[in-house]
Amino acid sequence: MDNLYIAPTPSSPEVDFRFDAHRLSLRGESYPENAAAFYANVIAQLKTYLAQPQEQPIDVQIALAYFNSSSTKMLFNLIEALNEAAQAGRQVDLHWYHDEEDDTLFEFGQELRDDFPALRFLSHPVGPT
Amino acid sequence: MRASPIAEKYGPFLDLAHQHQVIFYYVGYFSQNIVAAMAEAVKLQLEVAGVAGPTRRKLFSAFIEMAQNIIHYSADALTPPNQGNGELRHGSVCIRQESDGQFLLLCANPIAPETAHGLRAKLDALRSMTLEEIKLAYRQTLREEAPEGSKGAGMGFLTVARDAREPLEFDFVPAENAGGSPVFYLKAAL
Repeated sequence: MDNLYIAPTPSSPEVDFRFDAHRLSLRGESYPENAAAFYANVIAQLKTYLAQPQEQPIDVQIALAYFNSSSTKMLFNLIEALNEAAQAGRQVDLHWYHDEEDDTLFEFGQELRDDFPALRFLSHPVGPT
Repeated sequence: MRASPIAEKYGPFLDLAHQHQVIFYYVGYFSQNIVAAMAEAVKLQLEVAGVAGPTRRKLFSAFIEMAQNIIHYSADALTPPNQGNGELRHGSVCIRQESDGQFLLLCANPIAPETAHGLRAKLDALRSMTLEEIKLAYRQTLREEAPEGSKGAGMGFLTVARDAREPLEFDFVPAENAGGSPVFYLKAAL
């Protein structure tokens, strides 16, 4: 299947899903007008990819500086899909990047780690640039 | 020296804003682009004013939630009701800084009369929750299907309430004429 790339905008993240290399990245800000619509296709393509019989580990990098309430739910669903693949035996590494001063991002990362134990969760606090 | 006619006319308005310690105010149409631009302006303003990181983040978050609620739910819409994207709707948002350095975020927009009842019930329930209960409700709602009629995740108010210093305050002002839309006011202390 084709890789998925969506260029970033001031209010929506860069989506760089390189299915051929098993490297998935989400980077930037996420407060699109309609988060459900934005992420629906992203999640659908992810699920198509995950349904393929593959064994290589998946490297997921999420570096979102901010996400609004609707994006939060979509993100949760996206990571849930990854967790299901992990539960089925795939190795999935989730690299969660967060500003070291941002409690909200840190805590959400912890929730992901606690809710989705099949994923290998790696927290990366980021200092001021 | 006589006061300039401009200062006479508009001075009081600017003075009032200054007295109320308004640091940001917008009344007009809200679209995704407009909100994104305003969010950038607010972010910069707070940085330059030396506001602490955590407070800036909470203000930014609450601002986006409130502004996007206006885009999605204000009864004064330029775009047709069935248009799900690129919506343009009318409302206002205001950020005030109190003398103790803390912030108030206010927004107002007309709403469809039939939604006022449900909205009031939702916000009343929220007011009676402790911070722990709000966080719990937030986590629960995250894991549920989005509610009927919600254009987001139904988590906007929970998100703001979780970050606020006090329970959210709200008010409904009845429409001026029969068949008109009541105006919904929301206030968050951050």
